[in-house]
Amino acid sequence: MRFGYRLIVSLALLGLSVPLAGQDSLSVKGALGDTLVLHNATVTAKSREQQLREGAFAVGALNIRLQASTLQSLTQAIDRTAGIRIREEGGVGSDFDLSINGMSGNSIRYFLDGMPLDAKGTGMTLANLPVNIIDRVEIYKGVIPASFGSDALGGAVNIITNRSNRDYLDFSYGIGSFHTHKADFSAQYIGKKTGLIFKPVLSANYSKNDYLMHDVKVRNEEHTAFVIKDLPRFHDDYLSLFGQLEVGVADRSWADAFFVSASVSKIDKEIQTGATQDRVIGMAERNTQSLNVAARYEKAGFLTEGMQFQASVSHTWDHSQTIDTTYRRYYWDGTYINGGYSEIRSRGKTWRHYRRPMTVLRSNLAYRVADGHELALNYLLNRTGNKQVDTWDSDFVPTDDVLAKHIISLSYDQSLLEGRMNNALFVKDYVNHLTVGQSEIPSTTGSDKVKGSNTQNYLGYGVGTRYLFADPLAVKGSFEHSIRLPVSREVLGNGSTVYPNVALKPEISDNFNLGLFGTFDLGGGHTLSYEANGFFRLVDNYIRATVTETESMMQYVNVDAVHIKGVDGEIRYDWAGKLHAAANVSYDDSRDMRKYTQSGDLSVTYKNRTPNRPWTYCNAEVSYTFRNVGLRDSRLRLTADYQYVHWFYLTWAAYGSASTKSKVPTQHITNASLLYAWQGGRYNVSLECTNLLDALAFDNYMLQKPGRAFFLKFRLFL
Amino acid sequence: MTNDMKTMKQLLILAITLVSMLSMAISCREPEPEPEPEPVVVDKDYNFDLYVCAVKHGGMSQNKNGTYVRSVPALTADQPRVEFTGKGVDITQNYTLESITRGKYYYQVPQKATGGFVKFHIERNAAGDESIVEDAEVPFKDNVYSARKYTHAWIGDSTTLVIIGTADKAKKIIWSKLSESNLAIQSEGTFDIKLPEGFNAFSTAGLLTYRKSDKKLYYFYLTKREAGQSDAATSVTNIAIINPETMQVESNTAVPSAVMEETAGSAYGELMQSMIMYDEADNLYVAGMITVNDQEMGILRRIPVGSKTFDATWNGFPNPEGKLLTVQYLGNGKALSYSRDETLGTKIDSKSHFYSIINLANGSRERVKFNGQDLQYCGGRFSQRSVVVNNKAYIGVGGEVEGEAETNYPTIYIYDCKTGVVEKGIELSKGFCFDIIRAMDVK
Repeated sequence: MRFGYRLIVSLALLGLSVPLAGQDSLSVKGALGDTLVLHNATVTAKSREQQLREGAFAVGALNIRLQASTLQSLTQAIDRTAGIRIREEGGVGSDFDLSINGMSGNSIRYFLDGMPLDAKGTGMTLANLPVNIIDRVEIYKGVIPASFGSDALGGAVNIITNRSNRDYLDFSYGIGSFHTHKADFSAQYIGKKTGLIFKPVLSANYSKNDYLMHDVKVRNEEHTAFVIKDLPRFHDDYLSLFGQLEVGVADRSWADAFFVSASVSKIDKEIQTGATQDRVIGMAERNTQSLNVAARYEKAGFLTEGMQFQASVSHTWDHSQTIDTTYRRYYWDGTYINGGYSEIRSRGKTWRHYRRPMTVLRSNLAYRVADGHELALNYLLNRTGNKQVDTWDSDFVPTDDVLAKHIISLSYDQSLLEGRMNNALFVKDYVNHLTVGQSEIPSTTGSDKVKGSNTQNYLGYGVGTRYLFADPLAVKGSFEHSIRLPVSREVLGNGSTVYPNVALKPEISDNFNLGLFGTFDLGGGHTLSYEANGFFRLVDNYIRATVTETESMMQYVNVDAVHIKGVDGEIRYDWAGKLHAAANVSYDDSRDMRKYTQSGDLSVTYKNRTPNRPWTYCNAEVSYTFRNVGLRDSRLRLTADYQYVHWFYLTWAAYGSASTKSKVPTQHITNASLLYAWQGGRYNVSLECTNLLDALAFDNYMLQKPGRAFFLKFRLFL
Repeated sequence: MTNDMKTMKQLLILAITLVSMLSMAISCREPEPEPEPEPVVVDKDYNFDLYVCAVKHGGMSQNKNGTYVRSVPALTADQPRVEFTGKGVDITQNYTLESITRGKYYYQVPQKATGGFVKFHIERNAAGDESIVEDAEVPFKDNVYSARKYTHAWIGDSTTLVIIGTADKAKKIIWSKLSESNLAIQSEGTFDIKLPEGFNAFSTAGLLTYRKSDKKLYYFYLTKREAGQSDAATSVTNIAIINPETMQVESNTAVPSAVMEETAGSAYGELMQSMIMYDEADNLYVAGMITVNDQEMGILRRIPVGSKTFDATWNGFPNPEGKLLTVQYLGNGKALSYSRDETLGTKIDSKSHFYSIINLANGSRERVKFNGQDLQYCGGRFSQRSVVVNNKAYIGVGGEVEGEAETNYPTIYIYDCKTGVVEKGIELSKGFCFDIIRAMDVK
């Protein structure tokens, strides 16, 4: 007996058509209590990710849980998303920069379950967050819902952790090239009598990052001339440790969820190069330790029916050290000569301590005025201190800077025409308070221009709408006038390779998005979905990273007016959960629109493309899953993916002749992986090869990325 | 077919015919003769390398926006305007605009921080595009220098290059001798010069010069209360006389503060700005500064030939308007100065800098004039837009007069050292900050 029913259900799991393989029938309880027995039916479900993509805002959504058994880090998965580009400085634990639709990394805000990610410590990033604890990632492009209470300009990455309601244990260990080891453990235990929920997480990453550097200059045996060699990196060890315990209750009369947590993190990182690989460093290092305590509370029906309240509070004690106490000049073979200046800053020896206490308070009060109409009020406080002392340089005058942000937002969401149309409106008020105490290198850091305290206020607003004509065609558009307050790294530096610029101004942007998306059910388990987005950003005081001519240090500077427009598109194909293919392409066009210089002359960079950022890139991925290979209830998935990044100039096109200009070359990177899982995913083994063709790749000028690398991972999920 | 349709068809045929004929006419038209290239008057001895910086003036680690160089055969007015948009070799990432030069070669500790010295030259291809060709590169031996933080002098008929810098947070003064041809390090050492009580640092580099008449190296350096920038009033200028053969310090004396508190520059030698000059008699002149009414003002002192100390009674830059930044000898007892009028601004881009001709016989000076008008004030605290070769001084001004943006281009004026006549020379395109002229001897 066959039925022509197609059930559209939110399974919150797979975004794919799932044939009832291995079973002949499925019982479904109907609305009237009748039981239908479906034989050989196909259930087409919309995943959370798909639902999110179909919202009013431009969103990329990734299901991490399905990839957790193979992924080394979250950055790998995010980097393959349309409109997203991650630039890494090197191997495991290296600094990276994420851009969404052309907006630079620091225009992007990161959240872990809605709270700023750096509340877990300044060393915790997408690169070292344990993959196993993550359910999915939401990537908001340009316009960000008011509920985040954020000042992001280019977008936001929200990482959603697993919210399972049953006990589990998840452990994985991976070993890879360049002496890389990764171990993650997470679990959940619900007390039978007390109902108390315990969620421990432990994670450790280690890598020597001793990948081969090609064509580097070293001295000959007599030390009288340079010779060119390929040599491994020798001072790039990276260790990160993270531990967290979250304890709480759920589904009580007074709280849907109430959890308190404490986490510690420790990052030890040797520094191998300056902002370019010509500057070889052999002793300096940067270490970070953080302790975070936090609490979160959620309650639907708070005070009255239809009202929902969420509140989170967090405090972090963060202590970073940059140790630069050697007057040595290293070469790539690890030899050195004693010099007259320190390794990182080319000045005196320093052992700089940065204490950056961070307090975050976030609350969201939502009220359903009527069916399909909701009002929400959100408040976010983010206060970051920056106390610097130096335990080596007695000349250094301790400083105490404070960066505090208050963001209040009010939003209204409506759903009309039985959900075919969704609209969202919001207004945000940004208050930025900066207290500058530092006075080091005033001509470079601008500390002579910004003295004492100052408070500034900005207003932002936005609107989003989505209309669903039919499954194959929906359209959405959004607009936001947004403010992006500089982050502490941009204003206050990172203590090693980034100079402070305390005179940096906030970015102000008008963001427009227009998107089409749809899904075609081609029958026979074939599904094709697509999305295409166009965007336009008008940015004032665009913040751009520059490599300063002095000492290979980086610094963030304002560019008066930049227009960014572009498109990205993605096509996904799936056949019966076996064959999956996806491809996306992103293009953005960012231009300097400042027509005249201060002296009144036509600016030579007028309408030039903003330098030092990728502007055309694409990804393609194909995977095939075999079921019941060898063992029962097993699956074997083979995946290959390819990434292309077009070359780009390091400096403005108008500066210097094209033949002598510094460029970041084109990248072609191919990766492949194999996953074998059995007993329904309880046991997983994966082998991944990144940069399969061992291509010489650069994300940043003169900073080589790793060559071919292998990573073997075992995962146990009970 | 209706009449209307017929008419439309005929009109369409007519239109296609006309377009085709027009296309043929265009494609068959005789190519316009290319304009004859204007004759290029080439000074066979020199190429002139012109440096500009983006956004703001550079020099002395002030530039964060890029440095670009064009090489031209002559600086006369008959030459086409020098274009910089999308032109010029980009030296930003690899080299410093501060450099030692000799003949057609550059010698420096490069920006790219490979840990050594490099020798290179700039080539210009047939299309007029410049590129850099490295001729030699050697690693440091024991003494290590940072980019632009050193001073230099040529000895031994200019076959040997002496480099002096500081180490250990400017508490030690180090030296190295290099062969001009291949940069081989001949010898190195550390001077036995100690910081006096109460002083914490030497100047970053100091100023080094070789005097032919007594065959000695004169090393002018500061002792400072604190490392880094300091008030001239708290520094002491010292003169170390060094035997260039043995590199032994033969004498080391402090200069009285009334004579000179600081040399005009001390951090980056004369890698960019010229602060030392000699006349025909080998009198040694040094630009410096002294505090007058709590303000640092320029001063020009002289060590007469045969003497090893400043003549405290002689000042070639009396009644200064501000700091004296560069001096270059023009011959016949005259010198070109680049100085600042403090009342017009003291920032690197302040349009307060101007050129004068100093009469060394009596210390009088006069602004350089063209057509009876003073050359304009310009920005560039650390610029060196003047060079003296073949009895001509080429003097660059920035074209930065507000309100004249559409007509006023950076221009090089040519001063005839024999006649004193000033004529207008080549122009540079706008949009960049003009910072250096280097005359590269290519004969």
